[in-house]
Amino acid sequence: MQVKFEQFAAASMLGSDAAPPRSNGELLFHRHWEGRAFGIAIALSKKGHYEWEDFRQGLIASIAEWEATHCQVDPDWDYYQHWLMALEQLTLESNLLDPVELEQRTAKLLAKEHQS
Amino acid sequence: MTEKIDRETYSAARVRALEALLIEKGIITGETVDKVIEFFERDMGPFNGAKIVAKAWNDPMFKQRLLDDTPSAIAEMNLPRGMAGAEGEHMKAVANTPEVHNLIVCTMCSCYPWPVLGLPPYWFKDPTFRARAIREPRKVLHEFGLDIPASTRVDVWDTSAQIRWFVLPERPTGTEGWTEEQLAAIVTPEAMQGAAKVVVSVV
Repeated sequence: MQVKFEQFAAASMLGSDAAPPRSNGELLFHRHWEGRAFGIAIALSKKGHYEWEDFRQGLIASIAEWEATHCQVDPDWDYYQHWLMALEQLTLESNLLDPVELEQRTAKLLAKEHQS
Repeated sequence: MTEKIDRETYSAARVRALEALLIEKGIITGETVDKVIEFFERDMGPFNGAKIVAKAWNDPMFKQRLLDDTPSAIAEMNLPRGMAGAEGEHMKAVANTPEVHNLIVCTMCSCYPWPVLGLPPYWFKDPTFRARAIREPRKVLHEFGLDIPASTRVDVWDTSAQIRWFVLPERPTGTEGWTEEQLAAIVTPEAMQGAAKVVVSVV
């Protein structure tokens, strides 16, 4: 049976702490960047830039690290912070991006935002 | 509070930087990212199942066809590709009636009828839920806030790679004359799993 990559990727997360937040059967993005980060992570793997399992393990590790140092109901919990962390780490590890370049671009965008 | 806003601003900028650099380097395109997001927001989700249910409520002939041969009935509808094909080919709808209430469970989330129901709720994959739903469905449904009268039989269907079940819930009273669109808006994924009834919300 044929399964779309998107579906395979999302299914692999379900039933664990790494499962993305959802509401009534639909993915739940509170902010625009969460949806973009979600799409980028899946798109990169879909196009063969890294193994989905590597992303999944990175996400699990990031969540586990947080859980080891925070209590379960900590209001500071934010699933997509971990998603972003895993995405960033893997793009750097896979040599898709250069850390200095990423820092500079982020700083530039933040500065621009600050101005407006 | 300030720290929280900072984290938000930073994350938003970080994601924009990531995406912009990946696109500039020709690693991915913005369209690829859009397509991934669209897949979850448009192609696959409970809104598809809700349309099927609404049509069945308004069209008795369609309802009959849906129960007799679910994939062909779904194929009649103008739903995104893949709905009745590769993913939906082994779909089977079961109707709730005053005589029988259907509940679906599943061991493997990959076997969940996603194109119709969307992403399963967290409890769905829980082995305890599955075991208990088969052993004591009435009690489990009661915990969901759904009391099934003793006169109604409860059937539990285990979704598998062979057959992906979904429930055609009972049409609630007070919806006479409603359009398919109005009806689809009140159908929830839980109702199509048999874990809830469709209710007309008081506005």
